[in-house]
Amino acid sequence: MIHFTIGQKFKDQLEFIGGSSILFKQTLSELRTKPFYTQLLVEQIYQIGVKSLPLVLLTALSTGMVMSLQYGLGLEKFGGKPYVPRLVASTILREMGPVFTSLMLAARVGAGMASEIGSMVVTQQIDAIRALGTSPIKRIVIPRILACLIVLPLLVAIANMVGNFGGLVVGSTELNLDAQFYFRRVLETSNIKDYIAGFGKTFFFALFIAVPSCYYGLNVKNGTKEVGIATTKAVVTSSLLILVGDFFLAKFFWIIEKWL
Amino acid sequence: MALIEVIDFKKSFSHKTVHDGVTFYVKKGECVGLVGGSGAGKSVILRSLIGLEKPDSGSILIDGIDITNFTEQELVSIRKKVAYVFQGGALFDSMTVFENLAYPLKAHFNMTESDILIKIKNQLEEFGLIDSINLYPSELSGGMQKRIGLARAMMMNPDIILYDEPTAGLDPYNTNKIQELILRLKTKGVTSILVTHDMPTAMNVCDKFAFLKNKIISEQGTIEQLKNNKNSLIHQFIEGHIL
Repeated sequence: MIHFTIGQKFKDQLEFIGGSSILFKQTLSELRTKPFYTQLLVEQIYQIGVKSLPLVLLTALSTGMVMSLQYGLGLEKFGGKPYVPRLVASTILREMGPVFTSLMLAARVGAGMASEIGSMVVTQQIDAIRALGTSPIKRIVIPRILACLIVLPLLVAIANMVGNFGGLVVGSTELNLDAQFYFRRVLETSNIKDYIAGFGKTFFFALFIAVPSCYYGLNVKNGTKEVGIATTKAVVTSSLLILVGDFFLAKFFWIIEKWL
Repeated sequence: MALIEVIDFKKSFSHKTVHDGVTFYVKKGECVGLVGGSGAGKSVILRSLIGLEKPDSGSILIDGIDITNFTEQELVSIRKKVAYVFQGGALFDSMTVFENLAYPLKAHFNMTESDILIKIKNQLEEFGLIDSINLYPSELSGGMQKRIGLARAMMMNPDIILYDEPTAGLDPYNTNKIQELILRLKTKGVTSILVTHDMPTAMNVCDKFAFLKNKIISEQGTIEQLKNNKNSLIHQFIEGHIL
């Protein structure tokens, strides 16, 4: 029984890797052909980007505030409070901004995509798209992947600003750091490499969210019960890919930085 | 000449053989009732005729063209000629009735918005559903959804229509409406296959029956042939003696 479960899990993982790779390849090849549904892309940018903004802002603000507080209290003993702006800014730009924003998007948008597409499969709407001589990849998958690729870097940019603002608020109110000093230190000590390392990851994270979510949604087979399972799988897989992938991407961008 | 030919069609799902050499054909202008017990794989055959499923072996010919190994891109030309009426209508729930009907026109024809509107209004008037033009599928009854699904399938003036249980779960009024629509399309020369358990409707609209049993077409014939033969499998199926 245990062997069966492990074997089945391994098979599921292989199916996911193969299936999502095929889906991504189909997406790339259909991107090159007409028609392109601009209206659907705009709708998805609104759904994924604009509607996620409050969640992203709140997450970024609280992350920046907590980090500033923890760094400040920890470094106070060693007289290191003046380093708080640099540490908070660097951590947010390189890691917390992209990772937390992506995790929030995976939870909100990934779940939404998988359940919406899964429901369309169950109600035969995906079959209807095909039966009417059109492509579900073009109408469903491409707008979602492109919207994620466009929206995530923008959301991360906003999250970075709000996170640093949260750090500044706590720095000036709780750590007694001068607000102007804090602001100036952030600008002086943050460099282009921090931005590249952070933003570079967002394009990978966007794919880690959109591709598994579309894949699990499109592969719903046995009715509405599986829509819930697909949604859970999409969120778990996206989140794991973001967290595990972050390590390798961090290494990758360190190598790139050495060249710059 | 046969417009649809299914030759030695075989299909399995997860080691379970559903079809093991199904062969039948449909002539131009004919309406064939594909009947059989639940789980006999009637819908699988219907889906395969439009490329939504691929057979494991065998051939499917539409108007003499073998579509068995067609890619999704190659199937587009076939799907313009062959319409599929889904069991539940399969309307796009994020679109209004108008948008649902405009969908195939915008995808395949270079029509102006006003031409599209005129065509859709005419279609909905013919189907007696003009009042629902701006409604969403969730605001329609099951019968109306099926009729809109049929109207959408007709937007591209197909040569062939595949009906998947069009009257399942409908009240007598809506069943009659669907029946009338199928008959009206038949008089226009549209070739069709009707998958159904609703035998009175099938008797009214079909010219021929094909009975799916034991993974093959066990029996075929015209209504008259079957009516006159009390020992036929379809006759026993209708009487409820066999599955």
